[in-house]
Amino acid sequence: MLPADTLAAPTAAPTRSRRRWLSPIKIAPYLFVLPNMIVFGLFTIWPAINMFNISLYDSTNGRTFRWVGFQNYAELTSNQAFLRAFTSTLVFTVAFVVLTTILATGYAILLNQSFRGRGFFRAVLFLPSLLSAVVVGLLWGWILNRTNGLLNVGLDAVGLGQPGWLIDGRLAMVVIIFVGLWIHVGFYTLIMLSGLQGIDPSVYEAAAIDGASPTQQFLSMTWPLLRPTTLVVVILATISGFQSFDFIWTLTGGGPVGATTLMVQYIYERAFESPIRYGLASAGGVILFICVFGFTLLNYLNGRRQDAA
Amino acid sequence: MTKRRTLQLAAFLTAGALALAGCAPGQPATTTEPAPGPQSAAPDAPRELTYVYFTDGPDEQATRDLIAQFEQANDAKVTLEVVPYANLEQTLQARLAGNNAPDVARVAGLGPWLEDLADLSAVKDELDGQFIAGSDAFTHDASGNPIAVFSDLTMNGPLVNVDLFEKAGVSYPKLGEKWTWDEMVAAAKQVKESQGTEYGIAIDISAHRLSTMFSQYGTTLFAGDGMEPNWDVAKGATAIEQFVTLNNDEVMPKDVFLQAGSKYAAPADVFLAQQVPVYISGNWQVASLSSKANFTWAAAPNPCAERCGGFPGGKFMVGFEQGKNVPLASEFIAFMNSAEAQTHMAVEANFLPTRNDLIEQGIEYTNRGDDMKVFLADVALTPDDTYPANFSPVFGATGREVIAEIGQVMQGGKTAQEASEAIRTVVETNAAG
Amino acid sequence: MSTSTWTSTGHWRTPTLGLVIRYTVLVATTLVILIPLVWTLLSSFKTEVELAARPPRPLPAQWNLDNYTGALESFAFGTYLMNSTIVTVAATILTLVINTMCAYGLAKYNFRGRNLLFLLVLATIMVPLQVILISVYQVAAQLGLVNSLLGMIIPPAATPTGVFLLRQYMLSIPDELIEASRIDGAGEFRTFLQVVVPLCGAPIAVVTIFSIMWRWNDFLWPLIIAQDQSKYTLPVALAQFNSQLVVPFNYILAMSVVSMLPVIAMFLFLQRYIVLGIANSGLK
Repeated sequence: MLPADTLAAPTAAPTRSRRRWLSPIKIAPYLFVLPNMIVFGLFTIWPAINMFNISLYDSTNGRTFRWVGFQNYAELTSNQAFLRAFTSTLVFTVAFVVLTTILATGYAILLNQSFRGRGFFRAVLFLPSLLSAVVVGLLWGWILNRTNGLLNVGLDAVGLGQPGWLIDGRLAMVVIIFVGLWIHVGFYTLIMLSGLQGIDPSVYEAAAIDGASPTQQFLSMTWPLLRPTTLVVVILATISGFQSFDFIWTLTGGGPVGATTLMVQYIYERAFESPIRYGLASAGGVILFICVFGFTLLNYLNGRRQDAA
Repeated sequence: MTKRRTLQLAAFLTAGALALAGCAPGQPATTTEPAPGPQSAAPDAPRELTYVYFTDGPDEQATRDLIAQFEQANDAKVTLEVVPYANLEQTLQARLAGNNAPDVARVAGLGPWLEDLADLSAVKDELDGQFIAGSDAFTHDASGNPIAVFSDLTMNGPLVNVDLFEKAGVSYPKLGEKWTWDEMVAAAKQVKESQGTEYGIAIDISAHRLSTMFSQYGTTLFAGDGMEPNWDVAKGATAIEQFVTLNNDEVMPKDVFLQAGSKYAAPADVFLAQQVPVYISGNWQVASLSSKANFTWAAAPNPCAERCGGFPGGKFMVGFEQGKNVPLASEFIAFMNSAEAQTHMAVEANFLPTRNDLIEQGIEYTNRGDDMKVFLADVALTPDDTYPANFSPVFGATGREVIAEIGQVMQGGKTAQEASEAIRTVVETNAAG
Repeated sequence: MSTSTWTSTGHWRTPTLGLVIRYTVLVATTLVILIPLVWTLLSSFKTEVELAARPPRPLPAQWNLDNYTGALESFAFGTYLMNSTIVTVAATILTLVINTMCAYGLAKYNFRGRNLLFLLVLATIMVPLQVILISVYQVAAQLGLVNSLLGMIIPPAATPTGVFLLRQYMLSIPDELIEASRIDGAGEFRTFLQVVVPLCGAPIAVVTIFSIMWRWNDFLWPLIIAQDQSKYTLPVALAQFNSQLVVPFNYILAMSVVSMLPVIAMFLFLQRYIVLGIANSGLK
């Protein structure tokens, strides 16, 4: 079942001589990939396949399993809590991906040429993506506290009142999108920046001679030339958006009243908090995977279509 | 070329998935389990136990003292593994699913674990009939074998900041006196206004503490054997309405409630910061507060509405079937609930005993004895139907929904009446299994 | 700053306007990023009373390490720090060893199944642990890795990103070097160790940095695997004790700062490699 097994099997057609089969150069590659593939197979490939299998069973304790076919999936489609988590995840991910792409492109353009302080700004922008997301969530939760958080103390002092950032469902969704961007935008900016730096400056010089305005230049040259990098950013951000959990867990805990509970948290809670539904949680995992896969494929195909056009 | 490889990959994965479908990922549910009965230790069973524990403060040291005694007397090793209360259930569930269950645990409810508990028949004689009347019904399985011990009783009730009340010139009832909810709210508001505290009343965010208010307003979630729906929609709606109004009027900290998400939260820090004169929690806070508060405080009688008294709670000590040495675990559980051990816990950590003999003779509390008397007086006033409500195996799962419903009312998405009706539905569904 | 840079690329007609916009946006962003962090750093020296003060004062009354020593001594944060360190170091070493070997196998040998394996590695970038959590936990449980540091070290070690970065780099190593080593009579493994690894300094540095960052900050997996306090890592401990009365918030702040310091220090010293790594992870 594991890829490691398929590797160990003789791959060349029946070998003519035992000696030749045992030559180090033939065996070596398998030995080189083996350790990684064992870990990889045990903790990624096999669980990915088995996840689908578990989703066809019902289990209220994670130890005894009862075959139910696709019943878990049917149940999820009418499960209020899941549908809410599903919708919230889509809202979060779409907002996160779109804003990430726009902001990363913007910052990358701002940081592309050399100017005083560029290294500093680039470092500052990247800094949050180094930090533990759990800690970031915890700190923002403290800063956004309605009555004595730093932000509202400031807002109140200038007469803007004390918005309930974490107790109003819609504001809380805005907050987790904002904090998600705060953490990740620097990382994607660096990717965009490497894409920008791959563009030959002479292209711009030619355009400048032709008298193109900066906006025209951006639309007619920078944007198309950046498209492959943008595609990478969109795909990576989509994967990252769908798997968001850490910072939300310490920032809102999924609240208020479930407004920021995303799918990963739903899966975690159904697997480890009563009433436990292992199969249901696994079905949720499969659906999450289908979302990630579907969106990635869509972006990829869309990117290819535009390239071809 | 790439296309072919993609196809190869897809084929490979599909083959894997197909080969798997039909293999149960764990034990099939139909397997008949070995008949439960007193187990004898394998001769080489390790004389080692793990005890998963959560703490409210001083009880941890008291527990460690007792463990040391047990270890010495029994030539055993007991490892105390402390987890935060808010994560107790997830931890135990994950450990059970991972076949890494502890030998013994202290839990707040039995519902989630009923299938996994070890039979404590080895120490049946030391347990049966020793604990608060009525508790045996919940700590024994269908065939009458003990599977848990009701190890400490808790009583919910208000704690008041005496300094703030005095400075405001507001009085509160003492032992043996009474106040109504309206009187308590009025007093708290008065102190809040005169002393400029942030809030008037704070309450732990848990369905259990809210049940105190529900009971006072005349209803509980469950009754009978704990699986009988008992939620009175009209009375519940009144209580919810009152609770939500208090939050929306900032008498109670609405943020704490809404920010808690699905997690337990205790605003004890607000009480400690003297930003709220009344804090509805329970006797387990007494020892911890007495070491932390730098102001005068006291326990006050529970407020009455339709009924008086508080809401009982308690912790159970259980062993797990997966444990490696069930007989030793049973002995440990019996030891921790002997008269001597419970006395030690009660004195050191201001716990309320569950043993009939100790209840009868009374505990001499050396620390904050007057407060403990207030809680004990409320135990006597607490209505009987609150016990099955608390012991209900589905209390935890129902409680989460109750919190969510109230949260929706607080956000204006539902009326108290609608939420109360929804709670009735949840109660009925969960009671039906 | 000379304006010639601007006119030469012809990006902006009025450089001054461009400069104003550029600096306004960047300075505002810097403030949004740094204020919470600086505020955390300052507050980590404050007492509980100072933290509750309204309006808050920016600077702590006294600069001392009481919160730091208090958290380490009274709340076993020393243990969590140690667990985090062990997990990070061990997992990074394991990742480096197996990822480098695997990358070499995929880059420099022709064998049946090679492309399939590579594609499989790439595809799993789409299957983060969060998605397959439950079944990974089952495997870990069956292997007895639950509630152990090993359980946090081994499962995430075979990173697809690491294999990918290293393989791409190794493709650029000339085959002649490897052939020459073989002709000199070196075995396959010795060739790998003495010829290939020394040439891969840059990508190995990148993978090291990434791995340290990932493992040091890991949360969901350690949250499930660590089942009693003695196995908690720093992020798990911070998340679990936050908002509970158990650990005062001034200690939580101090330990939050501790959790950020190693990665920030690493970034300051190795910034070049991080930028390089991210530029290359662009899956070109």
